Amino acid sequence: MSAPSSGPVTREVTPSIARFVVAGLALVWAVPFWWMLVAAFRPAGSGADASLLPSLTPTLANFAEAWASADFPLYFLNSLVICAGILAVQLVTASLAGYVFARLEFPGRGFLFGLFLVQLMLVPVVLLVPNLKTIAALGLYDTLPGVMAPYCATAFGTFLMRQSFREVPRELEDAAMIDGAGWWARIRLIYLPLTKPALVAFSIVSVTSHWNEFLWPLMVINSPDRRPLTLGLASFTLSAEGMQAWGLIAAGTFLVSLPLLAAFLIFQRRFVNSFLASGIK
Amino acid sequence: MISWWKGAALALVAAAGLAAPRAALATDIELFFPVPVDGALARNMSGLIKEFNDSHPDIKATPVFTGSYDDTLLKTRAAIKAGKPPAAVIMSANFLTDLSIEREIAPMDDLIAKEGKTSEAFMGQFFPALLPNAVIDRKVYGVPFHNSTPLLYINADHFREAGLDPDTPPRNWAELYDAARKLTKREGDRTTRWGLMMPSNYDYGGWILEALTMSNGGQYYNRDYGGEVYYDTPTMLGALTFWSDLVHKAKVHPAGEQKGPAVTGAFLAGQASMMIISTGSLTFIRDTAKFPFKVAFVPMNVRQAVPIGGASLVQPTGLSPEKRAAGWTLIQWLTSAEKSGWWSRATGYFAPNKAAYDLAEMKAFLEKNPDAKIAVDQLANAQPWFATYRTVPVRKAIEDELQAVLSGKRQPKEALTAAQKAADALMRPYVEDTALRLPGAE
Repeated sequence: MSAPSSGPVTREVTPSIARFVVAGLALVWAVPFWWMLVAAFRPAGSGADASLLPSLTPTLANFAEAWASADFPLYFLNSLVICAGILAVQLVTASLAGYVFARLEFPGRGFLFGLFLVQLMLVPVVLLVPNLKTIAALGLYDTLPGVMAPYCATAFGTFLMRQSFREVPRELEDAAMIDGAGWWARIRLIYLPLTKPALVAFSIVSVTSHWNEFLWPLMVINSPDRRPLTLGLASFTLSAEGMQAWGLIAAGTFLVSLPLLAAFLIFQRRFVNSFLASGIK
Repeated sequence: MISWWKGAALALVAAAGLAAPRAALATDIELFFPVPVDGALARNMSGLIKEFNDSHPDIKATPVFTGSYDDTLLKTRAAIKAGKPPAAVIMSANFLTDLSIEREIAPMDDLIAKEGKTSEAFMGQFFPALLPNAVIDRKVYGVPFHNSTPLLYINADHFREAGLDPDTPPRNWAELYDAARKLTKREGDRTTRWGLMMPSNYDYGGWILEALTMSNGGQYYNRDYGGEVYYDTPTMLGALTFWSDLVHKAKVHPAGEQKGPAVTGAFLAGQASMMIISTGSLTFIRDTAKFPFKVAFVPMNVRQAVPIGGASLVQPTGLSPEKRAAGWTLIQWLTSAEKSGWWSRATGYFAPNKAAYDLAEMKAFLEKNPDAKIAVDQLANAQPWFATYRTVPVRKAIEDELQAVLSGKRQPKEALTAAQKAADALMRPYVEDTALRLPGAE
């Protein structure tokens, strides 16, 4: 850092530079959202597709058409079931596995943990066909549990929970043990309450990634009434040789991302605190 | 006394009894379909399948939307490997060669024979230009569903304003180059209107480059053998250099990768005066353009030639006889003159079934929309679409280089050498297994 002599000056300048940089980054992040909003309310065929200026004659026609072109309430429910189902199972498996890797001593622990982490390096596309074969063999092809199954175990979640559990003082666990708490009670009453920020942070990452996932549900789901939102949205955003109606796409995208956006705005402070506390960015 | 749950159970049994006969008789099949055009057509497809189900009580077909052409290939392959092949797939016509080499799709000659027809007579219903992408090694692997060719679209107002005659659009490259220069508008260093735009994103770029190469007398690939492409050739060098010159020398075409929808968008907004894109966009352009526009054949340098595009219906291997038969019924229904013609009018794709153009509705439609007739007339110049072993990566090998040339990062000649090398490496396993498998080499 800076030398003590230049202290007062840097203390004045650095925060404002940082604020400036952060504001710039925030602007870069906000532009696509702003464009989506502007485009969603612009009347079709006004010819100003790329413009960031809102239309003077805003319309809800794009929303009406997007809403009509897919069964959104049903897709909504499917996405919700998938995300909630995956998260519920993951929270259990990740915290149990995290506890094992953090606290239990057994031969080959380091090796097993390393093996677990290798999963993070694999490109998901490589696993499409093998996973689909397994799903079909289990009789889960074209079902929502089939979409959830490969995510029941999570390398990222296990890693995160292991790191957080290791920071919990051992003495607390020892004290509980003396009081006769079993392993289950120790995880539930000591580890989980103390690592809530990590759990919340992991939940956000898990839910957003599965909410936005496209390729895997595309592989598993055939029946139109089991599609999650991303597949429903894709039916009018993907076009190989046609022209894209930007207003319609923007309105559809807005509808799909709205629940997550709303959730984030409502719980914003909590989320940010969790990320800070857990050290993920 | 019957308690309420016994009553409910009885009602359930009765309902099951009513549903059972249909469930026992109907064969459940799935149709995988990509969305080649915008969302309204995905709904049209559902409507079409509903009509099929209503008129065929013994079959229950489910339309399964499967993303882009490339995603559809991925999903179909994964479903086959997982032992869940769909009974029919609308597959990009240039994937059939690769799928047949990998034995992932089955020939349909025996099904055609069962109808009492020869394969030649059955395929004779379709335009001859479509056959090389559907009949491979003399076996019928696909039935054309909807097809396209690249087409030149011009803004008639811009033409008149620049002193050009919109009734005689450019016929050759010299006229195209000249018109593009006259149509381009600049304010200082900034271009406010481009003379010409052509899409160069994945899938589209290779197709347009093929159109230019063929118009330059080239073949692009060996249409009788899946292990050869002609990337590093004079015809292709001429085509790529022409495109590169439009961008970097004449500056009448924007630099960098241009996505298909962006090209259409610029044309519709009056920011581009000419574009070369698929006939499949014709209906959309006609419905959306707020100015008079005209269409014309793709301008030539050596000869008039364009590749076909679009998709065919195929059947994966490994289907049960019942599903295969049901899928075949669906395929025949979808490719009949009547349905083919209806889909053509809804999308702008031309109807592959020639008989569709003898129907009264189609005649009336063409009378009203002469632009659609030009798209059909261009079929006389149509050539098969690029198809090899591992079509997608081999296609991307040239498309990556095309994008590099359009961004000014590569010279055309070195780009073609690199693309040829990459493509040859990709096709090597097949070549070693076929053309280079020689007696006495063990």
